[in-house]
Amino acid sequence: MKDLVFALPILLPLLTAIVALLAGRRRWRRWLIGLSATAQLGVALVLAHGAYGQPPQVLGLGGWAAPYGIVLVIDLLAAIMLALGALTALAAILFGYAELPPEDENPLRLPLIQFLVTGINLAFCTADLFNLFVAFEVMLIASYALLTLEADDWDIKQAFPYLALNLVGSTLFLVAAGLTYGMFGSLNFAQIAERADALAGTPQLTLLALLFLTVFGMKAGVFPLFYWLPNSYPILPSPVAALYAGMLTKVGVYVLLRIFGQVLPPDLSLPHLLMAWLAAATMIFGVLGAVSRNFIRGILSFHILSQIGYMVLAIGLFTPYALAAAIFYIIHHIVVKSTLFLVGGTVVVLNRTDDLEKTGRLWLATPVLGVIFLLQALSLAGIPPLSGFWGKYMIIVEGLRQQEWVLVFCALLAGVLTLFSMLKIWNGAFWAAAAKEGVHTEERRWRPMAAVAGGMTVISLGIGFGAEFFLGVAHEAARQLLDRPAYIEFLLRGGG
Amino acid sequence: MMWETAILVGLMFGGACFLILQASFVRILFGFILLSNAANLFLLAMSGRPDGKSAPVLQGNSAPAVDPLPQALILTAIVIGFGVIAYMVILLYRTFLDQGTANACELFDPRRERPKEDAS
Repeated sequence: MKDLVFALPILLPLLTAIVALLAGRRRWRRWLIGLSATAQLGVALVLAHGAYGQPPQVLGLGGWAAPYGIVLVIDLLAAIMLALGALTALAAILFGYAELPPEDENPLRLPLIQFLVTGINLAFCTADLFNLFVAFEVMLIASYALLTLEADDWDIKQAFPYLALNLVGSTLFLVAAGLTYGMFGSLNFAQIAERADALAGTPQLTLLALLFLTVFGMKAGVFPLFYWLPNSYPILPSPVAALYAGMLTKVGVYVLLRIFGQVLPPDLSLPHLLMAWLAAATMIFGVLGAVSRNFIRGILSFHILSQIGYMVLAIGLFTPYALAAAIFYIIHHIVVKSTLFLVGGTVVVLNRTDDLEKTGRLWLATPVLGVIFLLQALSLAGIPPLSGFWGKYMIIVEGLRQQEWVLVFCALLAGVLTLFSMLKIWNGAFWAAAAKEGVHTEERRWRPMAAVAGGMTVISLGIGFGAEFFLGVAHEAARQLLDRPAYIEFLLRGGG
Repeated sequence: MMWETAILVGLMFGGACFLILQASFVRILFGFILLSNAANLFLLAMSGRPDGKSAPVLQGNSAPAVDPLPQALILTAIVIGFGVIAYMVILLYRTFLDQGTANACELFDPRRERPKEDAS
């Protein structure tokens, strides 16, 4: 029974979602879901604390041991991701409470968020390729529903590219899972890792790795296949958009880390090289897209892609140091990006729009919101000592060490353009005088909304100033990830 | 047997890609249905040659059975695919009702403008 705590990250949101669907009173439901989200954060932090420096925790579902049954494995990386997911979900839920009174909220929104979290958490915990497919589908189906739940008649068409590209991605994932089973006779991560070593360097394995790169690169939003993201996120209500921006693409990055770092053997130079160059293209095209937009959520949506480029570049460089950089970057990015979407949502309440032509005067009306935005925007651009600086610094150091001058140049250029597009929001929303309708500070709800964003900013500042601690955690997570012999030994023969 | 399956799977993927790249909603829909079935057939092919093997049901005889795992995977994939396709039908239907077109090129034509009455 003690092992059941390792299933809690999946059971808790699932049960909450089902109970919330049945519960009638909206106020009770809000309390229930708020408490559950807080509890999920607590559980994830306890798991992360327990995973530091320890072998991974294994839970065989139904009592079946590793190679035959489906196992959940929580190592430090998975626990970090669980904690970040729970934090983002809690912030999004609280922001939603502040934004709308209970009777105006769509009754399906909160249960669907919980189903989404269930899928995300299952993707983090699973150690089985097919179970990962199921986790992705749980997550995607919940996200399709949330995307169209509150979209208006005009915006609804943006859901179609999202659905179509993700459906193609899922089909390719199924094919990749089939190929893996055909090649290795197993879908368990540890068993694939054990048998893949014998095939290291063969064209079949390279082909499989490229297929995985396509599938998970698509989910992460890597260059040629990112079109599903930037037009569909702005149609979401702001709290849900913050959750999507923080977590969904990062699930793809996490799986890339897991598959390339742990499951496949480390000597796959062609896929790694391709990954690094695609990442550079993602950075540049993402940030150029951001520069071309003129409304806040559009700019921020394109920025997700550009930032994904940094993480994937770090995975492509593929040294223990680079993977630690990728993990640190994920920690930084999730907090900062979801805060910026929350700030964007607050601007919509204050200015009635987030079109930069029509917003303005916010610095005079609400300097606090300005400070929150400025801190997070500079962090995103990578100004020291904010959290974004450390991740970028590590990635660039590793690029210089490997003498990849062009890749380093792309990363620096993307950083400058990020700063430029953030200044565009700053000028348009905070300094410009041209707010036609004026600033609606009489809307009392903007204060609790800004408070949620401010809380996330404090956490982000903590990551920046406490970088040594978080870098230590990232290095330990990368060490656990790359220690493939210990993982195989532990999962197939020791634990379970 | 393996070659025939491979050619069939290839044809299904090719046809699905062709249909998905068309403009009409109905063709796109059929393309996705074909695509998910192509993936399912591909999974089935991973269980190897079925010649001389029995169904994976325990009946006391010791004849070698086909690998049951791909079949379990396909069952799961069919259920999930069915759900997503059902969602897609509704999404395309709602788009048709809201936007008055069943043609993807017209739908994403940049010259179309948001109707004035619901501009926010």
